[in-house]
Amino acid sequence: MSEEKPFPVQKTYRPGVIFPPQVQQNIAAGINKLVAAIRPTLGPTPRTVAVSRLDDIGKTPEVLDSGGIIARKVIEMSQRDEDIGAMLARALICTQHERMGDGSATAAVLLQAIYNSGVHYLAAGGNAMRLRHYLERALASALEGLDELTAPVSGKDKLAQVAEAICHDRPLAKLLGEIFDIIGAFGQLDVRKDHSRILRREYIEGAFWNSGLVSRDMIVNQKELQTVYEAPAIVIADFQVNDPRHIMPMLELAVEQKVERLLLIVGELSGDAIAGLMMANGKLKNFQVMAVRGPGMNPDDRAAAVEDLAIVTGGLPLLKVMGQNLRDIGRENFGGARRAWASPHNFGIIGGKGDPRQLRRHVSNLQAQYLREDDADRRDKLRARIGKLMGGSATLWIGGLSESEIEARKSSAEATADALRAAVRDGVLPGGGLSYLKCRGRLASKLNGAADPDERAAYRILHDALAEPARAIYENAGYEPGEILARIMQAGNRHGFDVLNGGFTNNDSLLDGAAIQKMALKNAVMTAGMALTIDVLVHHKTPDIARSPG
Amino acid sequence: MDAKYTLELANADDAPYALAASPAFARDGVCFAACGSGLYRSQNGGASWELLRASAEAVTTAVAVSPAYAEDRSVFAAVKGGILRSSDGGERWFTAGFPAPPPVFSSLIVSPDFERDGCLLAGALEDGVFSSTDRGARWQPWNFGLFDLNTLCLALSPKWTEDETAYAGTETGLYRSTNGGRAWRHSGFPSELAPALSLACFEDGRDGSSRLLVGTENSGLLASGDHGETWEQVGEDVISEAVNQLHVAHDAKGGHSLYVLTNDGVIHSDDEGRSWSDLVRVDGIPTAMLPLCGLMLLGVQGKGVMRLPRD
Repeated sequence: MSEEKPFPVQKTYRPGVIFPPQVQQNIAAGINKLVAAIRPTLGPTPRTVAVSRLDDIGKTPEVLDSGGIIARKVIEMSQRDEDIGAMLARALICTQHERMGDGSATAAVLLQAIYNSGVHYLAAGGNAMRLRHYLERALASALEGLDELTAPVSGKDKLAQVAEAICHDRPLAKLLGEIFDIIGAFGQLDVRKDHSRILRREYIEGAFWNSGLVSRDMIVNQKELQTVYEAPAIVIADFQVNDPRHIMPMLELAVEQKVERLLLIVGELSGDAIAGLMMANGKLKNFQVMAVRGPGMNPDDRAAAVEDLAIVTGGLPLLKVMGQNLRDIGRENFGGARRAWASPHNFGIIGGKGDPRQLRRHVSNLQAQYLREDDADRRDKLRARIGKLMGGSATLWIGGLSESEIEARKSSAEATADALRAAVRDGVLPGGGLSYLKCRGRLASKLNGAADPDERAAYRILHDALAEPARAIYENAGYEPGEILARIMQAGNRHGFDVLNGGFTNNDSLLDGAAIQKMALKNAVMTAGMALTIDVLVHHKTPDIARSPG
Repeated sequence: MDAKYTLELANADDAPYALAASPAFARDGVCFAACGSGLYRSQNGGASWELLRASAEAVTTAVAVSPAYAEDRSVFAAVKGGILRSSDGGERWFTAGFPAPPPVFSSLIVSPDFERDGCLLAGALEDGVFSSTDRGARWQPWNFGLFDLNTLCLALSPKWTEDETAYAGTETGLYRSTNGGRAWRHSGFPSELAPALSLACFEDGRDGSSRLLVGTENSGLLASGDHGETWEQVGEDVISEAVNQLHVAHDAKGGHSLYVLTNDGVIHSDDEGRSWSDLVRVDGIPTAMLPLCGLMLLGVQGKGVMRLPRD
C-alpha cells in the first residue's frame, strides 16, 4: 500500500541580501533549469515534458509539448535565487504564449543563450548597463534584417503550411489554412468541442451577436428554436423599455411604412412591454415583431455594439444619452436587412441595408485602432467587432476519441489560430530557425565595424544566440546540429534544413509567422538585458507563490 | 451593316439582359438570349429563336454556357430566386433554389476550367456573390469581406485555374477574390468612380500580363494592369457615358479588340484602347451585346435581338 503524500506546505524563508557573483550564477541556474524543461518542445518534432499535478497527488502526470503551458505549470523553484531567474524566464515564455500562441520555446532558448553569454562577458569585466544598451542596438539591427526577410502569406496551402509548423497536426493545419484564407486576419472564428470523432468546419453567413430573444414566446420555429425574418425593418434602442405604451408609436410607424417584419434590438424590455409586442403579433395583419436584448456585458461593449449595428443596418439608433425613448421614433430610426434571425441566445443579421462605404470606412477605422491598441483585452474586443462586420464567420468543430484529446486539440487549435492571424496580418519568415540565421550576416558586419568592447560583445552575443533556435530544433529531431549549421552557412543561409524529411530545402517550404519570431527575439533580448543588469537580490521572509506571469 | 431583329419582343418593357453563345458557335450556331420574357435559344447563329419552356414567363437576367458545351451541353440561366441548369443544350432544366427573399441575379459566369472544377459564380443585386462547385446543383453565398452586396458584374482571371482570382463590381467599388470567390477584399478602385457596371479580365497575348477593364456609370472606362491596385482612364475622349457591357476578343497575333456597349451602341477599338470607332449605333437603348465570328448580336430594350453581319 502506497503511502499518501501530504499536500506541499508553503515554506518559510529567512530574509537575506545576495551579491555578485552569486546573483548572476543563481539567476543563470534558474533560467537554465526552466529553459531545459522547455527546450525539448522546440520544432516540428517536439519531445514531451511530464509535469506532476499539484492538486492530484498520486495520479498520472500531465504530458505536455507546449513551452507556454509547461512554463505555466512551473510555479516555484526550490532555491530562492534560482527562482528569480526562473520566474523572469517564465514571464517571458508565458507572455509570448498568451500574446502570440507560439514562439515561447524560441524565446526561452534565445533568452538562455543571451543571458549565459552575457554573464560570461560581465565576469570578464564588462559593463552591464552598456552591454544592455548595445544589445538593444543589436536587436534593432536583427529586427531590420527580419523585416527585410518578411513576406506576405496567402492561399490556403501556404497558410496550412504555417499552421502545421505551429501545431504539428496536418489535418487541423489544413482546415485552419482554409479557414484563414477565407476569414482573413480579422475574421471571426469560434473553436468548439464536437461530439464526433473528426474535425469539421462551418461557415456562417452574415454577422451574429451573443444576445438573444427577450421571450421564448417569440420563437416561431420550435424545432430549431429560432425565428427568421425576411427583409425585416430593424430598430435599435440602447435603453430599457418598461411602459408598453412606449412601443405603440413604433408599431404604428412600422404599419404606416408597410413593414411586415420588425426586429427590435433593445437594452431590456419589461414583461408588460413584451406582452404588448406579443399582442401586436396576434392582432396586426401581415405584421410580426420580435425583440432581442442589445449585446454587450458593460456600457462600453453595449455602445460599441449599438454603433456597429447601426452601421450594418443603416438605422439611426435611439440612445439613452440623447434622452430618447421609443416614443421619439421616426422613419430614420428604421434600418433593414435581407434577413434576420434570433434564438434564445443569439441573433444574426444578413445583408444589412447600411451604407457599404460607411461600413468599409468603419471597419478600416477599427482595424487602425486594433493596430494601435496595446491592451490585449481591448485588442480582442476590437478584433471580434471587426470579425462580425466582415460578412461571415467560421466555426471549427473539434472532435476526437476522448475528452482529453478533444481538449488538447482545441487548445492547440486556438493557439494556432492566434498565430495564424498574426501571420496573415504581419507576414511570414523562413522557418526552422533559418530567418534568425539569415539576419546574423547583418550583425556580423556591425561587429566588424565596432570598436567599443561592450558593443562588440553585444553583437557577438546576439549573433551567436541567433543560431540557438535552429540548433535546438536539430537536436530535438535527433540530428547533429554542428554539421547542419556548417552546411547552411557554407551555402550562404540560402537553404534551411527540414527535420521532418531529413534534407536541405528552399526557403518556401518552411515558414514561421513573422510577428511571432520578431516578438520572441525582441522580448528575449529585453528580458536578458534587464536580467543582466540585476546586481543584488533581496529576499523577504516569505515569498508569494507566483500566480501569473509578469 | 444590314441590321435585322431576328428576335422580336412583344412588350416594350421587355429587354434582352444577356447573350451567350456556344464556344463552337462557328460550327453549331447555338446561342442564348436572357430576356424579361424568358430564355430564348437559337440553333442557327441567331437567325431565328425559340422560347425555352422551362423559363417561359420567368424574367431571365443572366445566361452562361459551359466552355465545354460541345461535350457537356451545359447551359445556365438566372431567374428571380433561382438558377436553372440544363445539361442537354436547353431541352430539360433543373432548378437550384435560394433562401428567401429571392435574389435577383445580375451576372452568371462559368469557370474556364468548368469541365474539371464544375465551378460557377453568380452575382446578385442585394445578396452578393453565390458560388457553386458542383455544376450548379447547389449554391452557397460567399460574402466574406464583400461590404457591398449589390453585385452588378463579375469577371474571372484568365489564369483562373492557377490563381483562382475573381472580381466583383458593385454599387460602391470593386472587390477581388483570390480563393475562387469565397472571400473578397476591396481593390484599389476609387470609390468615387463607382458603380462598376461591367468588367472584363484578359491576358495580354504579347507579354502574358493580366489586364482588367472596368466600365462605370459616369466615369467611363478604366484599365488596370496590376490586379486592380492602380487605374488609368481608357478612351476618355469617346466614352463619356455608362459602359453597360465589355467584351474582349483576341486575335491570332496575340492582340485584342475591345467592344464597349454604351447607351448609344457599340464602340470598338483594335489597338488596346488608343483609338476608337463607332461600330453600331442603334435607335433605342442597347442592353446586351455579343461579338461573334462574322457577326454581332445586339439586344435592344423593348425591341429584341438584332443580328448584325460583320466584315
